[in-house]
Amino acid sequence: MKKVGIQLEGVKKRFGTQEVLRGVDLVVPAGEVTVIIGRSGTGKSVLLKHVMGLMRPDAGVIRIGGLDITGLRDAQLRRERFRFGMVFQHAALFDSMDVYDNVAFPLREHSKLSEAQIRIRVEAMLASVGLKDAGRKQVNELSGGMRKRVGVARAMVRGPEFLLYDEPTTGLDPIMTAQIDALIRDTQDANPGLTSLVISHDMAATFRIADKIAMLHEGRVILEGTAETFRETDDPRVRQFVEGRLEGPIG
Amino acid sequence: MNPISRLGAMLIHVLESVGRYVRFLMRSMASGLLPPYRLRLLFKQMHFVGVESLLIVIVTGVFTGMVFAVQANVGFSRFGAEGLIGAIVTLSLTRELSPVLTALMVNGRVGSAMAAELGTMRVTEQIDALDSMAIDAHQYLAAPRILAATLMVPALTMVFNVVGVLGCWYVAVKQLSVTPGAFQARIEWWVDPDDIIGGLIKSSLFGLLLSSVGCYKGFTTSGGAEGVGRATTTAVVISGVLILTSDYFMTLILAPLSVG
Repeated sequence: MKKVGIQLEGVKKRFGTQEVLRGVDLVVPAGEVTVIIGRSGTGKSVLLKHVMGLMRPDAGVIRIGGLDITGLRDAQLRRERFRFGMVFQHAALFDSMDVYDNVAFPLREHSKLSEAQIRIRVEAMLASVGLKDAGRKQVNELSGGMRKRVGVARAMVRGPEFLLYDEPTTGLDPIMTAQIDALIRDTQDANPGLTSLVISHDMAATFRIADKIAMLHEGRVILEGTAETFRETDDPRVRQFVEGRLEGPIG
Repeated sequence: MNPISRLGAMLIHVLESVGRYVRFLMRSMASGLLPPYRLRLLFKQMHFVGVESLLIVIVTGVFTGMVFAVQANVGFSRFGAEGLIGAIVTLSLTRELSPVLTALMVNGRVGSAMAAELGTMRVTEQIDALDSMAIDAHQYLAAPRILAATLMVPALTMVFNVVGVLGCWYVAVKQLSVTPGAFQARIEWWVDPDDIIGGLIKSSLFGLLLSSVGCYKGFTTSGGAEGVGRATTTAVVISGVLILTSDYFMTLILAPLSVG
């Protein structure tokens, strides 16, 4: 049996009258890439924020590497966050800093490394995402794909156990999308101890990178399994999403 | 909904907003007391709030002093008391005009910039990124800004005082033929250090208000570019109103200080 990285049991969340998560059950195996798919507005990003402890569920249990984080106090929750790296939808780089300082930022804040040691680490990270000479570029000079790469480097620089991606390929051209997919896959394969959780609505990309796929629909996981499971399923809701058809049970 | 319950709903909404703002302010100030102390960020904000506001404060200060000298002359010349122009203008400046006008000018420049910058950081998820890296955004973003404004608005007010009196001196002595000796002597008789100190205490509160409202509005921005614009406008308007209303109450509280 595979080791469990992240586990959600009956996670519910409501904003005002809107019930966004209606009892999510999901297992994210350690050491793999798991992709959560679903339409925009089905609560994928909210789910990610729960996993990171940025939001607390109204009901249910979230376990990170076996530890239940739902009952933790704020300070403990913040410490748990050290185990994560997050790549945001539009990279969310700090535009008051250049590329190098963005990547060095988590190290300067949370480690006792000297500037020389930080330099070695940051340059290695930038090289690993294919941006060896871009360190002194300003954030607003970067293309969308480069921003994502810097985002990955920043998220990975402290060597997290879990790497979360929020729609990593939104707004990129097909070639750039393929490059970022390859980067996600390479990052996982180069770090066997890493657990990657990706949120996406791009089916082609999902099939390329996922070890496991789960589909979120109306606040619940309606199907989870391998790419094979998703290609062969009879569930009309999943079929409609996977094939990208206009007509079907999803309005 | 009947009018009474609508009024009630409005009241609850206002009280909720005030509560959230106060909690934000408390949390930001408390986080500023805890290490790590971010002196580099503090100095950067002090430079932005203080040094970069110098020019507008000097220009408004000089002209306020000058126009007040002209206006005071209208009254005082009727009974030949032009010699009092310097004293009365200095009193008005130190007690009232410098703190309020400086705060309003800085609010337009700095309060709006804080709301816009932090609002943009909110909608582009940069504040979420700080959270995700386990960095306290209140401590990293809000505390240095609030502390910088609380320190620098009084400093700017003092600059306003000085250049305002110089502007007044120019009009009174060079254009209205008040003798320099009388100008200076009357100011020395009439104006006490308490007048200046009271004004500086007020201006420090104004700095706290305009920066914390700007930061709060930035932190709570939602809805993209339009939301950033809305946050910026409301921050400036709310701070402006708060500066002028709190001025009255602060003046009442500080009044016993300078009577004796």
